Amino acid sequence: MAALVPGMPHMLAADAAPSWARLRDATRRTGDRLRAAGVETLVMVSTQWFTVLGHQVQTDPHLVGEHCDENWYGYDYGRQRYDITVDTELAFGWADAIDARGLQSRKTRYECFPVDNGTVTAMNLLDPEHRFRLALVSCNLYAGVDAMRVLGKAAAAAASQLGRRIGVVAVSGLSSGLIQQWISPGEDRIADDHEAWDRRMLDLVISRKHDDVLELREEYARAAQVDSQLRVYPFLAGTGVDTLESCELLEYGPIWGTGAAVVNWQ
Amino acid sequence: MSRVFHVPAGTSASRARRAGPATTSPAPNVSFVCGAGSAGRGSASGRIVAGYLAPHPPHLIYADNPEQNEPRSRGGWEVLRWGYEELRRRIAGPNRPDVLVVHAPHWITMVGHHVNCVPNPRGISVEPIFPNLFRYHYDFRTDVELAESILAEADGLGLVTSAMREPDVRVDYATIGALHLANPAWDLPVVSISANNNPYFYSDAALDEMEVLGEATRRAIEKTGRNAVLLASNSLSHLHWDVEPDLPEDMSREHAYNQHQYEWDMRLLSAIREGPTSRLRELVPRHIEETSSETKAGSLSWLLSAMRWPDVPGDVLAYGTVIGTGNAVVEWTDRRA
Repeated sequence: MAALVPGMPHMLAADAAPSWARLRDATRRTGDRLRAAGVETLVMVSTQWFTVLGHQVQTDPHLVGEHCDENWYGYDYGRQRYDITVDTELAFGWADAIDARGLQSRKTRYECFPVDNGTVTAMNLLDPEHRFRLALVSCNLYAGVDAMRVLGKAAAAAASQLGRRIGVVAVSGLSSGLIQQWISPGEDRIADDHEAWDRRMLDLVISRKHDDVLELREEYARAAQVDSQLRVYPFLAGTGVDTLESCELLEYGPIWGTGAAVVNWQ
Repeated sequence: MSRVFHVPAGTSASRARRAGPATTSPAPNVSFVCGAGSAGRGSASGRIVAGYLAPHPPHLIYADNPEQNEPRSRGGWEVLRWGYEELRRRIAGPNRPDVLVVHAPHWITMVGHHVNCVPNPRGISVEPIFPNLFRYHYDFRTDVELAESILAEADGLGLVTSAMREPDVRVDYATIGALHLANPAWDLPVVSISANNNPYFYSDAALDEMEVLGEATRRAIEKTGRNAVLLASNSLSHLHWDVEPDLPEDMSREHAYNQHQYEWDMRLLSAIREGPTSRLRELVPRHIEETSSETKAGSLSWLLSAMRWPDVPGDVLAYGTVIGTGNAVVEWTDRRA
């Protein structure tokens, strides 16, 4: 099973906009499905852990702490605790598989390492009882389609070698027309042109037209300022989402002007 | 120009945020009191003593091996670090300012211009991109009165703002980098301003908005009577390698990303050296277009606007590359001040 989920913490707001609440519920439902599928480890990429040199793989066995966000600190959702167990065996295997495919992995284990808000938000919604283990790679902002696909393939190969039952999760937004105002939740909206682009791409995604998605990705990225240019899609493709039988859009809506969606592949 | 920034700025919500709604820490009710070198404080005769382009690659601190940073190195990037030595010499002694004000592109704020109002930020900043190079223990004082004044002025000029009063927000490496390299003793108070854009994956900066922020900064400095040094924490050309050598400070691997990047950096620096800075109004955006310059985060435009685009040449103290990016330490002083 695989999923695309948003990484914006607004989904956790006590006073949530209708779309934030629907996206939160959809992300939680995705977690239920992952558990029902018997997933042991989530293989994850988050656009909010963006890097520029190589591909960082988290190898700290236990990520525990609190994230206080540098932008959203003024809201109840600006501070989140996290307690994440890393599947280090898979993480090291993944890093080695990345190296073996000609890319540079960078094993990352540092005390006080700041886990990104997207990962923390996604894990708290997908896995509130901390049942899953996590294998996490950074999102290199200069990585092209081929490199992202290789990262996905390397994850699948490493998991297969270990006999690990994985669920793949890409934490990313879609269009990123952030509203440059301090708004109340009820004021949230997506610009019409961004929404049109988001829906066009989501239609292709759920129709499982992978080649069309990849072909349109750059144009979409330019037109709608897409979060990390939708780099997560070739990552998902690399893990093999194109071999899964179905794709479902659970929810789509705005988060502070950005486009956000929850998509499941099963 | 990014459409992100084409939404009209609203100020009522910004004013509301100045009190720090929904934060778990109460807003400080006392202002920082400066120590030595605060002549002119409160006399409303403040001025910007000097402005510096002050690049922040973590490699420079890593190479310096200060006690605050955990990793150890064999050195490297000496020419840039010598440039910072000269900067430190120039802001010492009789030229010592009351405060350092820094605008940095790695405190990325998605909404509005934020100013750090935490009186004593302290903690460890592990850099998520370069954790092998930068794990820095910081402990510094904020000039809260000036920080609040910048917010008030920015708000009055129509910018969306926020006073950041959360001590648990990690201070980013671009802020720490410029401040440490300018003043490793950390014995001057600081004001730290965020970059209201994400130069990496959301948008381009709105340089016109940075001009307004610069104006707000100057007004606040004048009204609070501070003698201030401004630090624009930006690199220049910003294409760089996508892998790291086994020895990060391997200088045999260090050079400009390509000739085009180098030549455009030299074109910009030549214009800076010749002056006046008004030439840069057109050249900076062109340089950004040609080199993906980090100045698109707006720090340099903020600095020059704050200094009223002084009719003087800049003094290039050093230039060097770091993982292929261009970096220069440059000084401007305003003879009109």
